[in-house]
Amino acid sequence: MLAIDMTTASIIYITSFVILLIGYLTAISSKDVIRLLISLELMFGAVFMALIPLFSVALLANAAFGIAIVTIFTSSGELLILIAAIAILDKQKRDIHTKTIKIGGDRV
Amino acid sequence: MEVWVLIALAGIAVLSSLGVLLSKDNFYSSLYMSATLIFVASIYAIFSLQPVFVLIVFIFVGAIGIVTVAVAATYRSDPESQFSKPWAVLVVITAAVVGFAIYSYKMLNPEMSSSVIKFELINFMSQSEYLILVLSLVALVVLLLLSVLKMVAGGTEN
Repeated sequence: MLAIDMTTASIIYITSFVILLIGYLTAISSKDVIRLLISLELMFGAVFMALIPLFSVALLANAAFGIAIVTIFTSSGELLILIAAIAILDKQKRDIHTKTIKIGGDRV
Repeated sequence: MEVWVLIALAGIAVLSSLGVLLSKDNFYSSLYMSATLIFVASIYAIFSLQPVFVLIVFIFVGAIGIVTVAVAATYRSDPESQFSKPWAVLVVITAAVVGFAIYSYKMLNPEMSSSVIKFELINFMSQSEYLILVLSLVALVVLLLLSVLKMVAGGTEN
């Protein structure tokens, strides 16, 4: 079994951070809400990866599994809401580009 | 040997996520995203954390990921370039700063002890706590589905 030392922890954290930043960059440069949804899923993937070193602390292993379960379910729920919002946006505006979304005159 | 497997999986995960950023078609972008998540789940598997691997692959990729791929396939005609160069520079600078911080921490603390992951699902929670957690998560999913139904019904009326 692979042990978690500083090298493996560094690999995991750096990979997680790079994936998170790529998710941010995709979200910033997205022009439609589908790309925004994809970038959010990428960010959640990075968060899941950052949880791995928590399992290496014996006292925290069970808590880490609980955190993982709750994170997976809540993030799935959040994405489900976003998918429903995309369907509603398409029904109402006939467009899924981010430039069509306005709140009180501000552009999102 | 196992460290090299970890490095290979991490590298492929990063390359797949780069595919999400650089692909112009939403459909291929969502496929790259699913591949990234599967590689992240595989990293859990090499640490013998199979329960989390199953949760990520079945729930996150299997359910939400597939819906995303289907939605992206429906709205795939969006070939505009969307790469933001100024933000890319800022992202690279931030990654370099954080990477150096992690590297210097390792150099300054060479005596950090290693630990093997010993996770057993049997000792996860007591029966009552586990029931409460499952009930809470089921209640959350039911409430979410009800709010989605309400949202979609409201969206149709307008």
